[in-house]
Amino acid sequence: MTRTRRQRVRTRLAAVLSAAVLAGACSGGEDVDVGGDGGGGDGGGGDGGSTGGTLIAAISAQPDQFDPHKTQAYASFQVLENVYDTLVVPDAEGQFQPSLATGWETSEDGLTWTFTLREGVTFHDGSEFDSADVVYSYNRIIDQELANAFRFASVESVEAPDPRTVVINLTEPSPALLANIGGFKGMSIIPEGAADQFDLATEAVGTGPFTFESSGAGGVTLAAYDGYWGDAPTVDGVEFQYISEPTAALTALRSGDIHWTDNVPPQDVESLQDDDQVEVGVTPSVDYWYLAMNQAREPFDNRDFRRGVAYGIDREAVTEAAKFGAATVNQTAIPQDSFWYHEYAPFEHDPQRAQDLVAGAAASTPQPMGLMVTDEYPETVQAAQIIASNLAEVGIKVNIEQESFNTWLARQADGDFDAFMLGWLGNLDPFGFYHAQHVCEGSSNYQQYCNPKVDDLLTRAASETDREARKALYDQAAELIVDDVSYLYLYNPDVVQAWAPGLEGYEIRADKAINFESVRLPE
Amino acid sequence: MSAGERADTLPSTAPHRPRWVETLVLLARSPMAVASGLVLTAVVAAALLAGRISPHDPVEPSVDDRLQAPSGEHWFGTDELGRDVFSRVLAGAEVSLRVGAVAVGISLAAGVLIGLLAGYYRRWVDDVLMRVMDVVFAFPALLMAIAVLAILGRGSTNAMIAIGIVYTPIFARITRASVLSVREEVYVRAARSAGAGDVRIVARHVLPNVTAPIIVQTSVSLAFAILSEAALSFVGLGTQPPDPSWGRMLSEGRGFLEQAWWMAVFPGAAIFLTVLAFNVLGDVLRDVLDPRQRAAMKGTAKGSGG
Repeated sequence: MTRTRRQRVRTRLAAVLSAAVLAGACSGGEDVDVGGDGGGGDGGGGDGGSTGGTLIAAISAQPDQFDPHKTQAYASFQVLENVYDTLVVPDAEGQFQPSLATGWETSEDGLTWTFTLREGVTFHDGSEFDSADVVYSYNRIIDQELANAFRFASVESVEAPDPRTVVINLTEPSPALLANIGGFKGMSIIPEGAADQFDLATEAVGTGPFTFESSGAGGVTLAAYDGYWGDAPTVDGVEFQYISEPTAALTALRSGDIHWTDNVPPQDVESLQDDDQVEVGVTPSVDYWYLAMNQAREPFDNRDFRRGVAYGIDREAVTEAAKFGAATVNQTAIPQDSFWYHEYAPFEHDPQRAQDLVAGAAASTPQPMGLMVTDEYPETVQAAQIIASNLAEVGIKVNIEQESFNTWLARQADGDFDAFMLGWLGNLDPFGFYHAQHVCEGSSNYQQYCNPKVDDLLTRAASETDREARKALYDQAAELIVDDVSYLYLYNPDVVQAWAPGLEGYEIRADKAINFESVRLPE
Repeated sequence: MSAGERADTLPSTAPHRPRWVETLVLLARSPMAVASGLVLTAVVAAALLAGRISPHDPVEPSVDDRLQAPSGEHWFGTDELGRDVFSRVLAGAEVSLRVGAVAVGISLAAGVLIGLLAGYYRRWVDDVLMRVMDVVFAFPALLMAIAVLAILGRGSTNAMIAIGIVYTPIFARITRASVLSVREEVYVRAARSAGAGDVRIVARHVLPNVTAPIIVQTSVSLAFAILSEAALSFVGLGTQPPDPSWGRMLSEGRGFLEQAWWMAVFPGAAIFLTVLAFNVLGDVLRDVLDPRQRAAMKGTAKGSGG
């Protein structure tokens, strides 16, 4: 039974480190079905005639590096999204569509996936794309144990029987494979041997619609790639500028110095919607923000205590304070728009009940609790102040510990915390939403949660190929995770971006992939 | 030298006034000093009474009341979590003054001690201590404070220590410079030949004669320390949320300038007025405590008064 997988996966994978962030996926804006033949080739041609011009986009942070396999910074992926391709890409609904692979088949036992590659694709350095490049790229991630190696945990080998075919052999069925290899540009295909020929941290050699021209302290310049396999971009190039101050970014947008920015604070959304100099896009994202308590410490190891905290927090107030209405309260991880969403909200704000549960488990009154937040994400600082005020009413004295993000990450990794607040960004598949965070030995299980029932459910769900059955397993696991308060889920934020009126062809996406391939500048 | 002549006549007009009373009287004659004194009195009163006179809880959020413009209920409006800005500015006064006073206390104690040792003993003690001070002094103040906080960790207690360390060299230098001239004075040599020990000489004869520049520097340093605390809190290293600090409020208000100017303007004004007052006071003190200026002022006072 072979089938082309075009399921209605609405979520996208990409589990990324909470923080560091990820971005999701990608390209393609529109349908990527550009026939299997060598499209592209003729520069600029395309249809409708390119109006040309350079699109100027302001992003809030400077990319740490441009090696797609190594970086974990969202800022890097905002740029790389336009430079590299993956075998498959999620569309705006989160369904995986062909990109560098034109089709794929799964063996009956689910252990062998065969991908047919697109012909006529060339890298920006002129070399031709074939299966050896795929094998090289994937083995680089696996062999060097790079940041995304965990996505290949169930991959036994990657083979290239001929130049147009790639076979991925698995140790167990992995329904999340497409999300794992195509969820975002961290799984990009680079030319064979590229790591030796180029300094990938400062150069980029992809197959995407734009070539990487130059990078400096102020920004990055991309140029339309004449040899692109898809429809050539309508703009001549893209210039990314780093503008960390939201007010400055908005002023630049109003004055026409830039065409696009995602540096829009949530509190400005309302006023910007009445502003005819600016077009604002708001759409629910796949991100989620949560609070986690250290279950290796007393009294946070006590389930009743954690449930007391869950009853004690006013999620509506927290969400309003942190995101000014640009978010949706949720007691599970997966947002409502996803196929994998499971409606489950057992905790209402009930200070009396919270107080009883806390009093029965607390070591002292009031019970002190350090809450680690980071100014890298100011919403955690805002939310923490509401949480501190909520919990003061139920007998918990919250000490807000604001750290730099590096210190924050180090303390998280060392287990040196009572509780922390952060978000996970860009996930598509429920495996990414739940697995590594909640299995006993999970690589992101910093809160040290361990419930054998959840372990069993998550492990079975990871290799369950029937979609409905898989969802049922994840739903059960999610209920236990919520009931045990492994994570105390708070909200799913909206994506907020702003651009110049008249900018056409830009699509705001739930996974925050920023793609300028089909964008047309205002007259 | 007319000023000198007039000065000579002063003892007859006020022969039994102690020196500090005389200083206060001179200060009271300066409108600048009086104005800054009033501002500082208000700030100190706010700091001491914040808990009792605040109309609202400065820490307790109330999301429903967020971003309200100044009104009879909320004189300075409310912030992004619905807290009363006026109450937070009052409570922030306490934080600013406490951090400023403790930090300057640290600088003062350490700096004066180092300056006395270096200036009095000279030789290698002087070389070692003052070269160390030069090293500390060579760093830009705020950069140094940030580095210290990176080592000690964030928080207002550590901010006091960091600011205290940063401003120590100034006190050491000023003290040492004064000690160098005083130690050669006849009365010091006399005390030494009379058999007085080092401790006694320094405590009884040197220290009292080098206090004027130290007092001036203390006032000016208080201004800098409050400014430094605000700067550190602005970048998130000083006072931690939810405690109010003017610098932190300014930082939070920055993101809301278009919707809620009051969030940044009032704490900003509080910093401005307090720092200005300490600086002006330091300036006037410098004049009043300088023997030559003092003589001139007294002379003028007599001239105009009589």
